[in-house]
This record gives sequence, structure tokens and C-alpha cells, in this order.
Amino acid sequence: MPVLRLVHPEPAVGPTEARRRKIGLEKVAVDFATRGKTVRAVDGVTLEVPEKQFLALVGPSGCGKSTILNMVAGLLAPTEGTIEYDGAPVLAANTRVGYMTQKDTLLPWRTVADNIGIAFELRCRKASAGERRERVAEMIDLVGLGGFERHYPAELSGGMRKRAALARMLIYEPETLLLDEPFGALDAQLRLLLQQELLHLVERRQMTVILVTHDLEEAVLMADRVVVFTSRPGRIRATRDIPFERPRNAMELRFRPEFSAIHEELWNELKDEFAASIGGERGAK
Amino acid sequence: MSGGSSLWVQRVFLLAAILAAWEACARLVSDRWISSPVAIAGRLAQWVAGDLWYHLAVTATEIASGLAIGIPAGVLAGMLLGRSVRLAAVFRPFIVLLNSLPIVALTPLLIMWFGLGMQPKIVLVAFVSFLLMFFNSFSGARAVDDELMDSLELMGATASERFFKVVVPSCLTWTIAGLRNALPYALIAAVIGEMMLSRSGLGHLITRSAQQFDMTGIYSALFVLMVFGGLVNEATTLMEDRLLRWRHLETRGG
Repeated sequence: MPVLRLVHPEPAVGPTEARRRKIGLEKVAVDFATRGKTVRAVDGVTLEVPEKQFLALVGPSGCGKSTILNMVAGLLAPTEGTIEYDGAPVLAANTRVGYMTQKDTLLPWRTVADNIGIAFELRCRKASAGERRERVAEMIDLVGLGGFERHYPAELSGGMRKRAALARMLIYEPETLLLDEPFGALDAQLRLLLQQELLHLVERRQMTVILVTHDLEEAVLMADRVVVFTSRPGRIRATRDIPFERPRNAMELRFRPEFSAIHEELWNELKDEFAASIGGERGAK
Repeated sequence: MSGGSSLWVQRVFLLAAILAAWEACARLVSDRWISSPVAIAGRLAQWVAGDLWYHLAVTATEIASGLAIGIPAGVLAGMLLGRSVRLAAVFRPFIVLLNSLPIVALTPLLIMWFGLGMQPKIVLVAFVSFLLMFFNSFSGARAVDDELMDSLELMGATASERFFKVVVPSCLTWTIAGLRNALPYALIAAVIGEMMLSRSGLGHLITRSAQQFDMTGIYSALFVLMVFGGLVNEATTLMEDRLLRWRHLETRGG
């Protein structure tokens, strides 16, 4: 098993300078009860995300990556350990984060435009109808949904719904983004375009990001740091800083030799876990 | 289009055949029990010129007033209890008991309380529609997708904002389904109330005719009730189509 120059979880430092800790997980474990049995989904995860860092979590499905996002969002309490955000424990829904779940949570009775603009209808960031329209139009442009403003979610394809959900989250520019497979249902070209748009926005607004993905290439292209998870129960197997400059050009980056080297290095870590997770599923049957 | 019009031709033929057979039986055998279409038409014409509109207005007012009380109360109570596990647990046995009572059996009691006017019927309609709307809204509030609630909470929506932006619209399909039941039941409640004891309304037309052994009167009143019920039903369908456009798109899989 080739283990390469992997850095261990300790240096919680972005590529440029030492930064304040934004998100901290301390010895976190999560148990789920299914069919009367307790299954450990996440085990002993200690992880720090400094402010303005773009962190990617990769690993086989069922390794608890989404569970970690749920905990950072405050929707799920860990069985053991603590979650901190800005130095304070996360005990309730964390309204500082924007969360794009795997299943899009568009409101089916609202049109695309009304879904995207909903954040500005709330008391906490109320905007006039005119301003709202303007921002919605911008976002619709950004995610390429022009012409579908008056459509209902049921009339859209899976990829279009993802884009609408992305727009609905980005429109209010939360300081931290939690993204669970945001580009999963998109075709390859659109995926590239949206990855690049998201990079621009994150770099411009200096957002902190945790991206969960199956796609190692996406992780290396976008993130400052990639964390590889083991198959269930999810533990941190390896952590790797990605040294590429910011702002990044994702289109150009993928052809660099360093990119291929890092990709290969991480893939060697990941492929055992995929094999283990498939083996585990076979064993369970 | 031609399929549609030929369908209507067939329907008109069927109706004509039924009416002709009815009329023939009445003339050739006896019209004592079944009256006859011609006699009914004549009676209806007489009523239209006479007091039909008054009785129709009484029944319609009872239904409208009863629904105006029962629907909002039922919807609100259902949504609140549906979203509060604690309240639902406390109220549950009472509501189940109340619902196992055939509500129209309350009519004599209500007549004693409120007299012979419209009030007991209004209360009866309100009661029936409250229960039906309550159960539907309750199920609707239970079925709200928690992920939608979470996503709005993370955006910073307050509890009341989540209630009005997620729970209420999400319940709307269930509420409309409740209306589909509540409207026919409201008509039943009002008419039964009138039949039991009253001086006006469509139900009163039936009992008055029956007491006079007036078959033509009974059939005429039934005909009016049928048309009235059909119109109420049609109105619900129209409203449903308007309010639930997104839902139809979804079930069509658009």
C-alpha cells in the first residue's frame, strides 16, 4: 500500500497565513440507531477549519461526511465530543452558515425566482421587492437559469434544481458555506462553469467553505485542504494541503503536472477506502 | 373535440331515455309514488316564481356562516396541534372521542339550545366542518418536510416565519382535500338540521312536502338539492385547480 508524503491533521493553516479557527471538531463521534442496532457513523474526528479556508471532505459514501456538515449546521448533536463555531459550542441551528444539502430543499409551491429570493423576505435581512428582484435576476444569471424564473421546482431537471438551490444559498452571501455534493447532478460542462463561478465568489467574499464530494478532482481543484475519510465508521485517514495560488483558474489548473501528482497521491489513499466500503457492503449482505 | 361532443350527445340521450321511461311509468301505471317529470318541472317553475329563493337563501346562509366559523378554526387548530407534539398528545383522546360521535345526532340538543331559527344549523355546520378541517390540517402539519423547515431556520427564519412560509403552504393541499369533504358534509348537516325542526330551508321543503304526502314536492326539493350540491362541488374543483397549480405539475411528473 503506497503511503506518500501525507501531512497529518495538525497544521490547521491555510496556504497563505495563520488564521483564526472558524470551525472546530473535537473528538467527535456519532451513533445512529437503525433496526434496533447502534451503528457508529463517525468516530474520533478532530478537525479544525481556519477562517476563510476552503476545506474538502472526500471518502466513500456512508462515511459520515454529510453527518459532519449536519453537525456544523447545528441540525444534529454529536454522541461524543464537541463542535465549535467561532469559539462557541454549536447547540442550535447555526444561522451563520449557508447549507446546501444533497437533496435540494426548494419549496415546491414557490417558483424558481420566489425560491431564490426567499432569504430577503425574512425579517433578519428584509429587502424591498425591487431590490429583491434585482438580486434574484443576478443570481439567476450566475447559475444559468434564465427563462425559468416562473417555473416551479417540479418542472425542472435535477441539475436545474441544484442550481436553483445553490443560487438561493449564495444570494445572501453567508460567511460560511456547507456544500454537500453541490454539483452532483450536473453535466460535465456546466459543472466546470459552476465550479469556477463558485471559486470566484468564495475568493471575492472570503468565505469559509466545507465541501463534501465524491469527486477527488473537484476537491483538489477547489480546496485549500483535502481530508480523506475512511469507510464507515468515518475517521480521518489523511489530510493534504493543496498549495495552489488564489485566485484559481480551475480550467487551467487541471492540466498542471503538480495537480496530477496530488490527485494521484490522494487517490492512492482513497481507493483502499472505496474497496473497503464495497467489501463491507458485500460482507453485510 | 368531436369525442367530447359525441360524449355529450350520448349523455343527453341517456337523460332523455330515463325521463321518458319515468314519464311513461307515471302515466301508464301510477304517479302516486314516483310523481312525474312533467309534474316536477311544473312544480319547480311554480317554486321559482314563489318562495324557492327564500328557502335556498336560508340554507346557503346557514352553510356559509357555519363554514366561515368552522373552516378557519379547524385549519388553525389542526396546524397548531400538528406542529406541537405536546399539545397533540394532550388533546388526542378528546378529539378522537369527539370524532366518533355522529355529529348530526347533536341536532336535537342544538335545537333546544338555540331554537328553530338558523343558529342551530349554523352551529352544526361549523362543528362538522371544524372536525373535518381539523383532521386534514393536522395530518398536513405532521407531513411537513423537516428538511424544508431546517433550511429556512438556517437562513435565519423565526418560528413564525417558518410557520407561515413552510407549514401553511405545505398544509394547503391537505386543507383543500379537507374542503372537498367539508362542503358536502356541510350541506348534509344543514339539511338534516332543517328536516328535524324548522320553518325554512331546503330541508324544510322536503319535510313539509312529506307531511302533506306531496311526492312532486319531495322530488322537486331533491332536484334542487342535487343541483345546489353539484354547484358547490364544482366551485371547490375550480378553487383547487387555481390554488394547487404547483401540485398538479408535481403529480404529473413535469
